[in-house]
Amino acid sequence: MLRLILACMLLAAPAVAKPISYVGGTMVMMENDETGNTLNIDYTFDPRFAAGLYAKKERGGEEYATIGPQLNALIYRWNLPDGQANIFNYTGGGASRIRGTTYATGWTGFLADYETRRIFTSYEAKFMAVDDIEVSTWQRARVGVAPYLANYDDLNTWAMFQVDYHPNKDRDITLTPLLRFFYKTTLAEIGVSTDKDVMFNLVQQF
Amino acid sequence: MWNVIAVFVLLAGLSVPTIGFAETIHATVNGLVCGFCATGIEKTFKEEASVENVAVDLESKLVTVELKKGQQMDDATFSKLVTNAGYNVVSIKRDKNP
Repeated sequence: MLRLILACMLLAAPAVAKPISYVGGTMVMMENDETGNTLNIDYTFDPRFAAGLYAKKERGGEEYATIGPQLNALIYRWNLPDGQANIFNYTGGGASRIRGTTYATGWTGFLADYETRRIFTSYEAKFMAVDDIEVSTWQRARVGVAPYLANYDDLNTWAMFQVDYHPNKDRDITLTPLLRFFYKTTLAEIGVSTDKDVMFNLVQQF
Repeated sequence: MWNVIAVFVLLAGLSVPTIGFAETIHATVNGLVCGFCATGIEKTFKEEASVENVAVDLESKLVTVELKKGQQMDDATFSKLVTNAGYNVVSIKRDKNP
């Protein structure tokens, strides 16, 4: 029974923004979607590394929450004349509280992205294990286009399309068109999935 | 008397380059495509005591850093700060403004 609950609920959330900012910078990411509510707080202490905290409360009828520290690493970055591409890894471990019982939890994920001022693409895969009970995988791909070329001091707007693949869900593919806005240190995303779930994400850099 | 005048002139001459001019550094930077990410450049340089102002231009891929009068920042330090923000410096030019 527990395996069934986990299979339905173990839908670990990915990163909305790049998990590493600038040395000395703190980034707070809040994600709210069909799978639950996620909070990431990351502190970048090196151009290639950030340490932080990951917490998620799963949505659904059963009590299920996960919390633990996470290390983000920039594996490689291509700074190009008209674009940037990155490969990141994030790995964490902690505890999951499920129906009153606490289990050891571990997760790792890879994020690859490429963007110019006009187009955005990303792919992410995440793996999560709760004790020896269940292993879950999750994948996400995004494409986006900027309808106008905004400069540094302008409000930036992106139209994006997101595909999530959760093999453990009944409907394993979720499509979400969304809009991304950012101005200076604040980024917000809003979308509605094909399952009619509202997604709202907020990222703030300090 | 002439000695006093000579010393005064000498000191005045020495003080002009260090007190009278503010340097502006213009750097072409690769990877500068996302305004949200580029805020790291502004925040990184604004934490430096020698920096008066910072401007980022995604169109020209330029980072412009205006130093306070009499302050200096060498190329290695400038490049290191840009790297800490996640980018690479391609070239650096300098202007001195009265």
